[in-house]
Formats: sequence, structure tokens, C-alpha cells
Amino acid sequence: MTDGDAGKDLQRRLLSEYYGSLSDEGRNGRKVAYMFVPGNVVELTRCFDMLPVYPEINALQCGIKKMAGDLILRAENLGYSSDVCGYVKNDIGLMLSDRKSPFGVLPKPDLLVCNYSGCNTFVKWFEALAHFYDAELFVLDIPYLREREAAKEDVDYIVAQLEELATVCARISGVPFDRGRLRRTLELSMEAERLWVEALKTAQSHPSPYDAYFEAVFYMAPLNILRGTEGCVEYYRLLLEELRARQKERRGPVPEEKFRVVFEGPPPWPHFRSFWELFKRWGVCGVASTYSKVGGLFDQGILHDPAQPLESIARYAMNCYTNWNLGLRLDLLRRYVKEYEADAVVIHSTKSCRSFSVGQADFREVLVKNDGIPTLMVESDLADPRYYSEAQLKNRIDAFFESLSHRRLLGG
Amino acid sequence: MNVYVAGADIGSTTAKVVILDGEGKIAATSLGPTGASIVEAAQRRFKEAIEAAKIDEHEVEFVVGTGYGRFKIPFGHTQITEISCHAKGAHYLFPGTRTIVDIGGQDTKAIGADERGEVTDFCMNDKCAAGTGRFLDNAALAVGLSIDEIGPISLKAAKPLRITNVCTVFVESEIMSHMARGEKIEDVLRGVHNAIAIRSIALMRRVGITPEVTFTGGVSRNVGMVQALEGQLGTKVNVSPLSQYVGAIGAALYALERARGAPPTELVAEASG
Amino acid sequence: MAFARESVADTSLSAVRTWKEGHPAGKAIGAFPVYVPTELIQAVGALPVWLFGAGGSIDISHADSRIQSFVCSISRSTLELGLTARLGTLDGFVFPSICDVARNLSGVWSRNFPETFVEFLHLPQNRDSASAVPYAIAEYRRLLNGLSRLTGRPASEADLRAAIESHNANRRAAQDLLAVRRETPWLLDAWESYLLLRAGATMDRDAHTQFLRNAVAAARRRGRKEKDRLRVVLLGAFCEQPPIDLIRAIEEAGCYVLEDDLLLGLRWFREPIPADGDPLRALAEAYVTQSPASSVSHYRGRRKQDDLPASIRAIGATGVVFCTAKFCEPALYDQVLYKERLEAAGIPYVHIEFEEKMSVFETVRTQVETFVESILFE
Repeated sequence: MTDGDAGKDLQRRLLSEYYGSLSDEGRNGRKVAYMFVPGNVVELTRCFDMLPVYPEINALQCGIKKMAGDLILRAENLGYSSDVCGYVKNDIGLMLSDRKSPFGVLPKPDLLVCNYSGCNTFVKWFEALAHFYDAELFVLDIPYLREREAAKEDVDYIVAQLEELATVCARISGVPFDRGRLRRTLELSMEAERLWVEALKTAQSHPSPYDAYFEAVFYMAPLNILRGTEGCVEYYRLLLEELRARQKERRGPVPEEKFRVVFEGPPPWPHFRSFWELFKRWGVCGVASTYSKVGGLFDQGILHDPAQPLESIARYAMNCYTNWNLGLRLDLLRRYVKEYEADAVVIHSTKSCRSFSVGQADFREVLVKNDGIPTLMVESDLADPRYYSEAQLKNRIDAFFESLSHRRLLGG
Repeated sequence: MNVYVAGADIGSTTAKVVILDGEGKIAATSLGPTGASIVEAAQRRFKEAIEAAKIDEHEVEFVVGTGYGRFKIPFGHTQITEISCHAKGAHYLFPGTRTIVDIGGQDTKAIGADERGEVTDFCMNDKCAAGTGRFLDNAALAVGLSIDEIGPISLKAAKPLRITNVCTVFVESEIMSHMARGEKIEDVLRGVHNAIAIRSIALMRRVGITPEVTFTGGVSRNVGMVQALEGQLGTKVNVSPLSQYVGAIGAALYALERARGAPPTELVAEASG
Repeated sequence: MAFARESVADTSLSAVRTWKEGHPAGKAIGAFPVYVPTELIQAVGALPVWLFGAGGSIDISHADSRIQSFVCSISRSTLELGLTARLGTLDGFVFPSICDVARNLSGVWSRNFPETFVEFLHLPQNRDSASAVPYAIAEYRRLLNGLSRLTGRPASEADLRAAIESHNANRRAAQDLLAVRRETPWLLDAWESYLLLRAGATMDRDAHTQFLRNAVAAARRRGRKEKDRLRVVLLGAFCEQPPIDLIRAIEEAGCYVLEDDLLLGLRWFREPIPADGDPLRALAEAYVTQSPASSVSHYRGRRKQDDLPASIRAIGATGVVFCTAKFCEPALYDQVLYKERLEAAGIPYVHIEFEEKMSVFETVRTQVETFVESILFE
């Protein structure tokens, strides 16, 4: 077994088990809760033996496996506009195809938990699924974070809703609410989150042992899909070991780390590999990214806490990247540039996702004009394969790194 | 022995080659349509430029390719993006330039440059035809005139109309309704030119508008466009009769750097041809 | 009518300046659509001013360097108005939680106008929750405190009650106006009632109420005859405002628009909000329990698309004209669900996409004419 395989193998096995558990036999009578990644309440739903399904993750998997194009077209044929989010259309397309995903047939929802954190489109998405599946919908309203500290009334509102949600879950699953079980699950979440934060920090070395954008989006998968399980904790233990080993050997994802970059925005899933190549060619290594924090800003000190079960779930839910207001987001970008000693910021702006994209141009204004941080903005989409133009992206990326290289040569 | 370098800017519609001597003076230029074959277009222009410079092929020590077809130039030693080349080329023609706007047939670029002709920032509109030469082509078609006629005619406008459609496809119907209402053609055309100027300026604001502003690209030969830009910006805009060669000049300047021994700062791993 | 037309066309907010001249210490607060509890603004002695975008009157030149271009025009034109110093007469801005674009716009606004009062109001989306009212009260209190600090004038319970009553009267007058159209559509065109309502965007509430009452009386006195037209409902989640000529084109194509959801925020509540008891609680309860179906807020209890066919029939309409702003996500998602229910109920509809700055309406007219003919001549 060569280096790094232990973690990868475990992830593969755990995910395979997870998808297996979603099959008809695998479920074994357990109920299914659909949820979104930002602000998800999987620790709570696990208490009721409910299996989590994440439509966003289904959408990105379909993107990677080149299935998204067809699914999106099916949704557009049903009447969805070309101007709405590609993730939603992908999911509607899946519904129209009887949920035949790259990992097998996905189950229908017994409960739609719309954790509305940082994305209003989530509400429209699950309103649509509630309509098409005639499924019960619970909108968990998570207030937008306007100050660094969540206000008491925000936390109280979420906690009250969580109690209501627990009642709904108990009714649907037939499993009574066991608060002890919730605490134990939160313990496991907290441990995995701690390990993940340590792993993220290894990117501070020169060279960074991993790409904090292109590789991080895969490293974060267990935390998003399997949080609250022992397998998840084990995975991050292995990951951290692997990254520490690479740090010792001064090994990174590119042969020679020439440019350290902070990435903002989701990746173009249908063209993930070729997009990465456009940067790898230049010796670019991502040292920090904001997309890897959509599932939680754990590195900002927000962890789940078994000592404050519902309260910590509430705080966690408010502290997912897209639920931070633009001022907090911009501040984070600037801190990342400093903390990870980055040479530049690359913003990948996506047509589908207004939550991420609206205001990124303003970030660029500030970073370039006020802070003097070289910032490149490129555009495509996170879900729809049609909005990707390799020639144009290559042009912009090459022009940007050409000028950085040339200026380095001239000494400034 | 004389040292020469060359820059080849092979765009999707036109191909340009510029030859510089060892001191960086222009020895020859050549321009022609790209047509169906990038390789042939590049070779034809190179041959023509060499003949015009009255030199031999192997006197050209280094060739940099740029533009859409830059990876396919068989005689090129390396390739650099047209953004970097436009900045260098515009700086060569107008050393005081700090903002460059290049309105091409299919895309528009805004480039911020420093006193050395280095790119400090850039922004491109390559997704939408509004604000590019295509918009002008469509407008010319809609009124039944050639692309060379519409600029001078637009200068005669006494009462410029506002064209509100940003979509190149729908602007045609907007133009036709104005004409049907009896509006003067010069007023309509002035409106069209202004609309493109506004879109280009919106792009330029993203890199910041710092004088001097230089206007490059094929569309810069349109006097109506120059007027519209100057009118909207409120400042004079640099235009050169060599504006179509700006990319090729910049490429040749990079070639000169390399001929003088500078190390590569572009990607050398890319194979050409 | 002429006054209404001028008032709406004036993007320089001269009406606000005039109000300020009459109220020397008075502040004016801009409210982005769709619904903001403007009672709170009035209670601190400020003038609520609705921000409805710049229509087609200005070119977007600065906004693209702050937000992407694949978003609704109203968000860009409003930002453009701000960036070109045309909103200087406003002392503060309130953005309600209607969609991701508007929410992020509030952040862009704060960054670009750091000295200005900007507040983002997170209206509760889980209105089925028992905690929705307490949360709404807390949000409203937060906004009220901010407004009080800005104006230097706290709002007493009496101030709040007076503001509620003033708004109740205004909403009542608006409903009376719209009732004229619904019951006797030949007496009042949709574009006319739209202008009359929208004129209130920069007016003192009570002055607008009187203005509307005069309009109702005048409309009832008109000697117009009923025509043979298709009775429709116009739906569009109108945050972005359609050009007047678009509404006219729809009507001239052969429709009587009995009801619409234009300027819904100005008439958000059908019933008066009780002005006795705790006024903030009354406002919050009204929002949580009495809000109309809208694409920008999650439904409470029943799914809004399920109620649509019955409500169309109750109004007495034969068809629906959907009019959605380009790039408007909330409207576009609801479209699909509304259409399914209408098709199942056998209610015909037509869908038009618009932009606030459109200037050519031939295609719209043709589309609607075809729609009208297909139904009237069935």
C-alpha cells in the first residue's frame, strides 16, 4: 500500500457503504431525510435512524460523471428556465429519471428538511420536491449572519425550530428522541471537525502538502456526507497522518509550487479535471478555499459541541460560508491570503449560484484596488456543462500567470 | 550581423505579423484574413513580412505567437497571450498609456498597464456579443450599410437615440422600429456606437480607468467608435494607424527580450504546431 | 394621472427632497421590494421611499464592477443609481430577505457606502413555527432601534400605533382602488391603477391615501363602456417593475386585468392590523399569519400553487398572464409549479418574460393577442 491510499480506500469503502444503505434492502425500513449541506442537521436526524440524502452532492456527482447535461435538459423540457440554478435542474432531472444516480437508485424522501442557510434557492428547490413527491417539508429557517457573533434571538429561533423538527422526525420515524444519543453523535462530529481543521492548516507549509481547493473538495466529502459517524473520525485521522507525512517529505500536488492561490467559489464539476489542469500547468497550488467551508466554517472556531447540543447545531448552521454576509466573506478571503501566504486570489464565478457569485466582482475591486492582491476572475458554471469555454478560460488564466511571472522576473 | 525578431498575432478573422529589428524598430508589417487554415495564414503573413523587410528567414532569431491561433504557428518559438502582448504593444506606441481597451470582432478586453507596459489587471467580455464588433456588424446589416460606412455616418448625428437593448440579436428589431418611426439613420447609428461605448466602459471600470486610454483592435479604425468612447469617457483616446498590429508588436517585443537572453516567463511546456 | 406619471418617471427623487424641505430634520429611508414593514420607518418620523429600480432610464456602467450581469435588471439599476450618486437624498436603506441577489446586494451596498445606514431584514421563512412571531418581533425591534439611532428619535408605542393606522388607511384605499378594477374593469385600466399606486413610493402615506381616495371617486364617475375582453390575472412576483407600456400592451391586446401582484408590498395585508395592544407584536403576527402568497416568501400551511386555480376562479378570471423578470429565480421556479396546477384545472395561461428597460413590445402584444383569440374564439 503506497502513501495516501489508506485514507482514500477508507473513504471509498465508507461511501460505498453509505450508498448501499440507501438501497431498498439497505434501508431496512429506515426513513430518508433529504437535506442541504450548509447548515445541515444530520446529528439530529441520525438520532431517529433517518438516512441523510444530499441533493447538492447528487448534483455534483452527476456533474463529475458527465450525467448532468442530460438531466438538466430534462428539467428544462419540463419548463425550468435556462436561467435557474443547474443543481436544481439536475435534481429535477434525477426525479424525472426515477432517481437513477451514478451510485444506484436513490430513495424518495420521507421528509424534506430544508435547512435554509445561505441560499434562498434551497427553499424553492424543496418546495418543488415537496410538490413533485408530495412529501412533507420542514423549512428550517436559519437567519443570515450579519455580525461575527450570532445574535441571541437568531440562536433561540433556530433552537426552537430544532425542537419542532425533532418532534416531526420522531413522528415520521417512530423512534423517540434520545438526547443522550444526540450528544454522543455530536461528540463524533466535533472530533472529526477538530482533525479536519488540523488537516486544513497543513497548507501553511511551503510547499503545501495538498491542494486546498482541488483536493480539499474531495477530502471534505466525508465531513459533509458522513458526519457524526465513527468512520468519519477515522478517515480524518488517516488524512491528517498522510498530510503530516507529506509535509515532512516536502511533497505537494505539483512538481514545483510556483504560485500559492486562494480560491473563491465552487468548481466547475462537469469539467473538474480540465479546469485543474489549467492551473497545474502553471505550478499553482491552492492553499486555501472558501468553497471547502460551505459545510461549515470549522477553521473559524465553530465546532459542534455535545455540551450545548441544540445551541451548537444552531451556531454551526449559521456559520457556513454562504450564510456569512459579504463583509465577513471578504474579510475571510483577506485573512486567508495572509495566513496561508498566498500570491493571488482566483475567483471562479458561477452563473447558477447567485449566493456565491453576486458580489464577487466587488471582492475583486477591493482586493485589487485597495489591497494590491492580484485577483483573477473567471466564469463558467458549477453544474451545467454548456457554460464552460476552455479556450477562453485558458486565455485568461495564462494571461494572469504570465503577467505574475513576468513581474516576478522584473522584480516587482 | 543584424538581429530581427517577429511577432505573429493570429486572430479568428485576421492574421498579423510584425518584424522588429535589433533596436526594436518596426522593419515590416503584414496583415491578411485568417481564413480556414491558421497555419497557412500565419505562414503567408510571415513570408510577406520577410519580403517587405528585405531579409532572410533565418535572420529572424525569435518568433512569439499570440492570439486565438497562437498554439498552431509552426515557425513560432513560444506563445504568449494577447492580453500581455496588447499591453506591451500599446505601451510601445503610447508610453503614457495606462488603460487599454481592445474591441475585437468577438470579444472586448480592458487592460490596465503600468509604466513598463506590464499588465497590472485585465477584464474580458468573451461571453456576450454586446459591446463587441459583432454588435456593429449586426447593426450595419440591419440598416443595409457596410461596416466601413456606419462610423462616418454616425458622426453626423444631431439627436443621438438611446439604444436600450443589450442583446445583439434583439438590437436589430429595436433599430428597425426606430427606422420605421422615421428616425434619422445617423441618430440611430450614433446610438448604436454609444451603446457599445457604454458596455466597453463598464468593462474598463472593472480594471479602473486611468489616463492615457488607448483604443486598439480592428474596431478602433471606426471613427464613430472613437468619438463615442471619447464622448462617454470625457477624455481623449489614443488611436494609432498601427492599432491592428498592437498584439503583433507586443509579441515581437517579447521576442526581442528573449533574443536578448531573458528567461521564459510563459509556459514553455506547450508544443507548437 | 399626470401627477402620478411624472412622479413615477422621476428617478431623481425630487419629491423626497420636497418632503425634506417641509420636514427639516426628517430622514428618508429607501426600502427595496417586495415587503418591508414601513410602519417602522414612519414611526421614527422618517419617510419610507420604495426603490423600484431605474427602469430603462439609465445605462449600467458601474454596477458590473460590483455584481455579475446574469441577474435581474432591478438589482443592477438600483446599484447604478447608488453608484452614480443619484440616491444621495436617502439617509438609509432596508433590504428584505426575498432572494439571494437582493440579500447579497445589501452586502455590496454596505461595502460601497460604508457611512450609510444599511439594514438587511431577515423575515421569517418558517411561518409554521411557534417561534416565528417572537423572531419577527426581535428582527423588527432590531430594525426599529437602528432607525431610531439614525433619526435620533425613538419610536413610542403611540408613534407605532399611529403609523399602523396610517398604513391601514393607505392599504384600504389601495384595495378600494383595486376593487374598482376588479368589479368594473372598464372604468380603470391596470396601467392607471399601477401608476396611481406607485406614485405613493415617494409620498407621505396620508397624502397618498387622500390621493387614492380622490382617484377612486373619479374612476367611479367615469362614463366608460364595458368591452368584450378576456378577464385575466397578472402574476409576476414583481420586485422588478414592468414598463407601463408593457402593461398597456397586455391590456390593449384584449385583456381586462382583474387582479395582479404588482406593488404587492404596498398592500401586503388585506385586513387592517390591529392598532391596540403591543404594536410590534401586531405587525409581527400580521406578517407571520396574514401574508399573501408570494414567490419571495415560503408558504405557510397550504402549498401556494395548490390554492391558485381556486383563487383565479374566485376572482372571476378566465386565464393567467405570467410576467416574470428576466433572471428572476423565485418567479421562474414557481412558474413550473403554477403551470402544472393550472393545466390540471384547465385554466389557460401565457408566459411573458420582461425586463424593466425593455422598449419594444410588439412580440408581447402578439403573444397576448394570440392567447386572447385562442380562448375567446374557442
